[in-house]
Amino acid sequence: MKTVEAGFELPPLTVTFRREDLVRYAGASGDFNPIHWSDRMAGALGLPGVIAHGMLTMATAVRVVTDWLDDPADLVEYGVRFTKPVVVPDDDKGASVTFSAKADKVADGLAEFDITAIAGDEKVLGRARAVVRVS
Amino acid sequence: MTIDATMVGRSYAAAESYQVGREKIREFADAIGDPNPAYRGADAVAPPTFAFMLGSRALEQLLSDEELGLRLDRIVHGAQKFSYTRPIKAGDDIAATATITTVRKAGDVEVIMYETALTTVDGEPIATSTSTISHNRAGA
Repeated sequence: MKTVEAGFELPPLTVTFRREDLVRYAGASGDFNPIHWSDRMAGALGLPGVIAHGMLTMATAVRVVTDWLDDPADLVEYGVRFTKPVVVPDDDKGASVTFSAKADKVADGLAEFDITAIAGDEKVLGRARAVVRVS
Repeated sequence: MTIDATMVGRSYAAAESYQVGREKIREFADAIGDPNPAYRGADAVAPPTFAFMLGSRALEQLLSDEELGLRLDRIVHGAQKFSYTRPIKAGDDIAATATITTVRKAGDVEVIMYETALTTVDGEPIATSTSTISHNRAGA
């Protein structure tokens, strides 16, 4: 189990989402909502284009924490708010999101991390918090 | 029909349990681009957000309650939280029950919070998932 002090920052992680990644996540998760693969359907709902599954962004954000843990089973709580959609264009560049995390509370064998997720200049997750067991 | 605060407390059990398979865990880990070895092999555990998928059959029941009148294509996922009792493993047979905990209305938009209890079919607690969704009835 890891030892940590408040203020400790985890190494950031930058991930690029391309259309192919959204199609793969749709298949694996069973979430076939067309706003994640059809520009036409996304546009009909007033979105600027196809957006990434919030649950894909959430899954990727916690990697900043679980990549660092000895055992991902030490994660006891994880929550996010989906504040801004991640628009994923149909090109080779895709959309890059940079995730980082900082421990802001350590007590009673638990450390709380505040996770930041930034695409372009915007925070795409709010109140993203992970609580892990530490020694 | 429409959802309102009197529907808080309604519970929806998944029609079938979810049998967690090692290859499904690997497929999910590949799809989220996570190479962590803990999600692969004979002793694989599932990535944390795999828990959301386990609740989807209970959510289907909630969405099919005609008295609520919700439509999937009018729903936006606003927030999501998980509390884990133990990791989900290959071989687990998981039962899911979703319970409506809050309903707030703002014009055409209904903000609904529901909590999904995930247990083994034998009743061992695994995790709790708390979801906040916004349902927009504008133009419906």
